[in-house]
Amino acid sequence: MHLLTAIVVLPLVGFLANGLAGPRLGRGFVSIVGCGLPILAFAAAVRCFAELAGAGGAPLVTDDYTWAEVGGHSFAVGFWFDRLSAVMTLIVTGVGSAIHVYSTGYMKDDPGYARYFAYLNLFLFFMLLLVLGRSLLVCFVGWEGVGLASYLLIGFWFEDPDKARAGKKAFITNRVGDAGFLLGMFLLYHALGTLDISQVQAAFATGAPMALSADLVGVLLFIGATGKSAQIPLHVWLPDAMAGPTPVSALIHAATMVTAGVYLVARLNGIYQHAPVASELIAVIGVLTAVFAATVAVAQSDIKKVLAWSTISQLGYMFLALGVGAYGVAVFHLYTHAFFKACLFLGAGSVIHALGGEQDIRRMGGLARRIPLTFATFAVATAAIAGLPPLAGFFSKDEILWFAFASERGGSPLLWGVGAVTAALTAFYMFRLLWLTFLTPSRMSTETSHHVHESPPAMTGVLVVLAVLSAVGGFVALPQFLEPVLREPAVHASLAGYETPLLVTSVVLALAGLAGAAILYAQGPARAERLAAHVRGLQRLLSGGYFIDGLYDRVITRPLLWLSARVFLRDGDQLLIDGTLHGLTSLAQRTASRLSRVQAGGLQLYVLLAGLGVVVCIAWMWRHV
Amino acid sequence: MDRTQFLLALSVALFALGLIGVIIRRNALVMLMCMELMVNGVILSLVTFAARTATASGAVLALLVFVVAAAEIAIAIPIVLLLVRQRQTLDVGAYTRLKG
Amino acid sequence: MIETILLYAFSAAALAGALLVLIARHPMRVALALISTMLSLACIYALLGVHVIAVFQVLIYVGAVMVFMVFVIMLLDTRDPSFVHRYSRLLVPGVAVATLLAAGLGHAVARYYTAGPASTSPADFRLQPFSASFLREYWLHFELTSVLLIAAVVAAIAVIQGRGGRDG
Repeated sequence: MHLLTAIVVLPLVGFLANGLAGPRLGRGFVSIVGCGLPILAFAAAVRCFAELAGAGGAPLVTDDYTWAEVGGHSFAVGFWFDRLSAVMTLIVTGVGSAIHVYSTGYMKDDPGYARYFAYLNLFLFFMLLLVLGRSLLVCFVGWEGVGLASYLLIGFWFEDPDKARAGKKAFITNRVGDAGFLLGMFLLYHALGTLDISQVQAAFATGAPMALSADLVGVLLFIGATGKSAQIPLHVWLPDAMAGPTPVSALIHAATMVTAGVYLVARLNGIYQHAPVASELIAVIGVLTAVFAATVAVAQSDIKKVLAWSTISQLGYMFLALGVGAYGVAVFHLYTHAFFKACLFLGAGSVIHALGGEQDIRRMGGLARRIPLTFATFAVATAAIAGLPPLAGFFSKDEILWFAFASERGGSPLLWGVGAVTAALTAFYMFRLLWLTFLTPSRMSTETSHHVHESPPAMTGVLVVLAVLSAVGGFVALPQFLEPVLREPAVHASLAGYETPLLVTSVVLALAGLAGAAILYAQGPARAERLAAHVRGLQRLLSGGYFIDGLYDRVITRPLLWLSARVFLRDGDQLLIDGTLHGLTSLAQRTASRLSRVQAGGLQLYVLLAGLGVVVCIAWMWRHV
Repeated sequence: MDRTQFLLALSVALFALGLIGVIIRRNALVMLMCMELMVNGVILSLVTFAARTATASGAVLALLVFVVAAAEIAIAIPIVLLLVRQRQTLDVGAYTRLKG
Repeated sequence: MIETILLYAFSAAALAGALLVLIARHPMRVALALISTMLSLACIYALLGVHVIAVFQVLIYVGAVMVFMVFVIMLLDTRDPSFVHRYSRLLVPGVAVATLLAAGLGHAVARYYTAGPASTSPADFRLQPFSASFLREYWLHFELTSVLLIAAVVAAIAVIQGRGGRDG
């Protein structure tokens, strides 16, 4: 079996083993299988990468396994490993394995231990299917599968109906996006007769006018990406997804699954390069989501919710980059984001674990000395996301902002401006989080305070690794590495001089955010709360996520439910269908009951009717005989 | 009017009156008696034809009908007696157990 | 001549008796009306010359059947709802249907009965010749009716016995 197939199959084996035999074979077995197989997959991925590098970047391809042959069409499953896939696979397996190891510590006391690892492995399997898939069909199978795994993991503690509902919400919102993806696939297959990614890109590469509008396909596929990567208007599931265990939030909703949309657009850049309208739409939605989510994150008081909205915002950055043609830069940001966001989430998990379940930052504080390792890693990751040099986030975010400003494919000062504001806000709310959680005087209740302890090595070890990667990961010149696959867009020559000033501005903004947070929150939330009292309406708007959930509920959910209950259930099903059936039966019953009166035991009636019959016979005979 | 026709008309009238009686009278015994009336009407027609065509078969049949009528009444009356023992009434309208 | 008058007279008596059967309230009176009808019919049979049937009418019908009827009427209590409410609910429909029936049959009698010649050699309906020809030609029917009578006897006994057996 080809090594690529092994990468994909190993987590599947883990799922089956842990899913079927896990509960019976105990924690040790589950941990070894559950973590070991992803680590093996990572090793295999490294090996494949070495092979790729040795071959000068020529992609590795597996033989196709024919999945189905329907009529004249044949659908095959095959894997494709080029530079982009390599980066994605390494991130997925590498960060994934780390988070698996972290989970052995975090989920130690959970009764659903085996189930958890089974689901995590299942997720890895589908995610690898997604990034390694050679045709859009395989990619879509992975796409759907990660949605399923996400649902299973968000609703992991399904006994709590709120958590189960969050899982459902995630799945359904994803589904809406998937409709767009499917339509895009249908159009592609109809026009081109194939879903193989390289063939699809080749068909669009000539640039000649085609029967199929690249813009249309681009927009439809982007709708799918919107659902999966939580952009406006389908972002509503991600904050609720925080109901799942924290390692799940780290893996799925920070590092890997939500980046699937970014990967899709980057992978299909052949289409998007010829779809200016779609690209512009992506850039606009990306930057709007970024600033929107950043404003909401400022007003959140749950540690995980801040990070969730932050993820939405950073994904917006990635789409901004994709929209202006800087595909490699978007993937670069994906890569750095995976490190620092996973580190942040896992750090938050460590804090929650230390505090015995407390998640409200208004009731934290003063943890810097009590859990120093967690604090240190969290601080490094915060600085990375804020974009302070020379940490990883600085490099990737700066590149994005530069291309947003100067790219010939739609860069504009307006996009840069909004992005810059978002950067400032990002720094502000992240440092707010850091201060309120760790550096301010303690606002913890006494029993929580007694409970505080550093996390076990399984957890802190992973934190350290991720923090180090957040720090030095930016020095890897990823966009240059990806250049053969994802070309950097050309830059307006006239604007070339602005590069350094913009760079400096980014740093200044990050520092401004840091300063703002430090000043406002140094002594705790009180000062900020006093200020917020003046703008209570704004405060409520922001913390409620601009009430978009409420809007969807009013405009979509309730009318649909009304339609279902009133029209389809009451009128359609009960009145029409049941009513017809009941009507028929009651008609039969009433008829029978009326007719049965003839035979009520009244002898004289019988005789009368017999006599009547004779009269009829006589009358008949009269006429015919 | 011919004698035969007249008697046949009388037979029809007796039969019809008997039928009316079976339908409209409530007393079980009276119903039986009306049935006898119907039978008598029929016997009259038999005898009329026998006399008209001067064959014995009509008269024989009339004789046999007598026998059957006697047997019938011999059974019908005990049945009525049993019914009356159950319901303590001769009113035919009271026997509605088949209803519903 | 006198025969025709007698015929009409007896027919009128029979009809009157029949009407009384319908109208009378007390079952005893109904029985007596029926007896008078039967006797009138017997007279009509005698007028027609069918003497043997006339005699048997009186013997069997009036003498056995109606006596049994009268016996039972006297046995049963007449303080009965049917004494007060003589007629059932089906009075009007019953009369209607029977009238229609009578009209139909009467119409048939009137239209389709063609007056044909009477037979030349009248059969002898006196007792001895009649019984001789009866038992000579219709002996099978005679045997069968005897079977019927035995069946009736068994049935009557079963009806009474079964009831009595259950009562212990």
